[in-house]
Amino acid sequence: MKTRSFVQFVGPSVVLMILLLAAPLLTTLFLSVRNCTLDMEVVTVEESTPFGKKETVTQRARLDASGRAIQTCRFVGFEYYRKVLGYDPDPSPPAVAQAPGADAAAGPGAPLNEFQGALRFTLLYTFVTLPFVLGIGLLLALGVNAVSVRLRSVFISASLFPFIITPVVAALSIKWLFRDNGLVPQLLSNFGVQVYWMGQAWSAQFLIIVYGIWHVVPFAFIVFYAGLQSVPQDALEAATIDGASRWQRLRYVTLPHLMPLLVFVTLIHVMDAYRVFEPVIVLTQGAFTTSVQYLTYYILLQENNPYKASAAAVLTLVGILILLIPLLVRTWREQRGGA
Amino acid sequence: MQRRSPGLTALIYGGVLFWVVLASLPILWTAVISFRQYVDAFSAPIRWLAPFTTENYSRLWIEREFYRNFLNTAVVTVFTVTISLTVGCLAGYGLSRYRGALGFWLLLVALVFRAIPHSSLLPSFFTIFDALGIRNTYFTLIFVLVAINQPFTIWMLRSFFVNIPQELDEAALVDGCTRFQAFRRVIIPVMWPGVVTTGLFSFLLAYNDFLLSSALTNAEKMTMPAAIANAINAESEALLMQGVAGAVSITIPLVILIVIFQKQIVGGLTQGAVKG
Repeated sequence: MKTRSFVQFVGPSVVLMILLLAAPLLTTLFLSVRNCTLDMEVVTVEESTPFGKKETVTQRARLDASGRAIQTCRFVGFEYYRKVLGYDPDPSPPAVAQAPGADAAAGPGAPLNEFQGALRFTLLYTFVTLPFVLGIGLLLALGVNAVSVRLRSVFISASLFPFIITPVVAALSIKWLFRDNGLVPQLLSNFGVQVYWMGQAWSAQFLIIVYGIWHVVPFAFIVFYAGLQSVPQDALEAATIDGASRWQRLRYVTLPHLMPLLVFVTLIHVMDAYRVFEPVIVLTQGAFTTSVQYLTYYILLQENNPYKASAAAVLTLVGILILLIPLLVRTWREQRGGA
Repeated sequence: MQRRSPGLTALIYGGVLFWVVLASLPILWTAVISFRQYVDAFSAPIRWLAPFTTENYSRLWIEREFYRNFLNTAVVTVFTVTISLTVGCLAGYGLSRYRGALGFWLLLVALVFRAIPHSSLLPSFFTIFDALGIRNTYFTLIFVLVAINQPFTIWMLRSFFVNIPQELDEAALVDGCTRFQAFRRVIIPVMWPGVVTTGLFSFLLAYNDFLLSSALTNAEKMTMPAAIANAINAESEALLMQGVAGAVSITIPLVILIVIFQKQIVGGLTQGAVKG
C-alpha cells in the first residue's frame, strides 16, 4: 500500500487520538506547572436586618464584561509536584485566594505523602495479584481441559463472568457480601471469626486484592486454555512412551509451550492492575487506601484542583512508562524481527 | 495415555465447580437479596428464604427514573461502538496492508496510549471541555470513549485483517477497484467475524466504563454504572436496596451477551491485545 492511501485510511483514527489523547496529555503537562486563581476583590455588603443595618466585608470574584470570572494564571514550576510527593519546603499555605486552584487540603492534617501512599498500594496490588492470577488461571485451564467436552462450554461461560461484569457493580456486590450482616461475615461468625471488613486498612486492602484476583483470573484462564489446545500431541505421546509421569509431561512439555502466553498475561495484567480504580473507590472511598488513578480523580473532583491533579497525573504516567519499558522493547524486537 | 485415577478426576471436577461457584456467588447473592426488604437482605442470622418483593426494582426504575440512565447507556454505547468500528476498521486495514516504518510507530504509540490510566486525561478534559462549554454532553462522552477505545480497536482489527490474504484485495485492485472499493466490497464482507468480536469488546468497554462517565456527565446524562455510584455511600436503607436492584439490572444484559456470544468473546480474548 502506498503511504498516501495509508494516511487516508488511518487518518480519522489518528486525528481522534491526537485530539482526545495526545493533546490532553500535553495539556496535562502544561497544567501541572501552573496555577490559576480567581481575581478576588474585597467588597462591603450592607444588609438590612431587623436589628438595624449590618455591614460585612467579604470577598467575591471580579467579573469581566461578559460576566465570567477573571482568572490570573502564573507559572509555579514544580510546586504541585512537591506537594503531591510530600516534599513541600514551605509548610505555610500560599496567601492566594480561594478556588479554583486553591488548596482545599493544604491545611494541617492533610496527608503529605499522598502519591507515595497511592503508588505503594498500586504496586502492592499489582504484584500480589499477579502470581495468583497466573497460578489459578493455569490450574483452571488444566482442570477445564480435563473435564468432558460437553461440560466445557458451560464452565467457560460461568468462568468468564467476573471478567465481563461491570467493575463498579462487581466491587459493589463484593462489598455487600462482606458488609456488616452480609453473607460472609455471618457465615464466618459461626466459626467465631468477627471482622469489620471495611473498617480498617488491612482488611479493606485484602478485599481489593481478592476482587483483583477474582476479576482477572478468567482472562488468564481463557488465554491458557486456548494455549492448551495447541500443545503438540505427538510430543506428549512421545513423553508418555518414554515413561514420563503426568507431572513431568506438564513440567517439560506443556509449560514450556505456554511460556509466551504467561509473559503476555503478565504484561497485560501489569498494565491493567496499575489502573486499579473501581474497587478502591467502592470498597474504601480512599479512607484507608488509595491508588494512583484514584488519587488524580480525588484531587480533581474533591479538592477541585486541576493543577495539582495534573501533577499527580504526570507522576502516574511516568510510573506506567517505567513499567511499560519491557513491553515496548519486546514489541520493538517482534515487529523488527517479523517485518 | 494413562487412565486418570478416580481421585484425581474428583479433584478436577471439584476444583472447577468450586471456581464456578466463587465466580458467580457475589452477583447471584446480590440478585437474591435484590428481591427482599432491607431487613431480610442484611439480617442476623442469615435468612436463606425471605418474603419476595419487587419493590426495590419498581422504586428504582419508576420513582428514581432509572430508565433514563438505561436510555443514556443505550445512546452512548450504540454510538461509541458504531464510530469505533468505522474508524477502527479503516485504520486496522491500512495498518495490515502498509509496510512502511510509519505503521510500526503508530502501533507502538497506540500501545502506550492503551496503557495510560484514564484519570490522567481528566484534568485537561475538564479544563478544555469547560473552556469550550462542551462538558456534560453525549457527544463529548461518546467521542472520548471512542478515542480511548481506538488503540485497542486498531490493534485487534489489524490482527484480524492480517489474516485475510493479500491476494484478495490485490485481485480487486487488478480488476480496477480503488483501494477503498476493494476494502468495502471485498474485504469487509469476509471480515464480519472480526468486526463482531471487536464490536463486542468496544461495547463492553463503553458499557462498563465508570470513571469517565461519572466524571464527564451530570445526573441527567449519566449512564447506568455512573448513576449507581449513589449506592456506594448510601446512607438510607431504601437507597441501598435500590443500588442492589440497579446492580442486578446492569448485569442482566451482560449475562445475555455471554450466553449468545461466548465463542466470539473467547476468540477475542485469545486474539492478542485485548482487555480494557
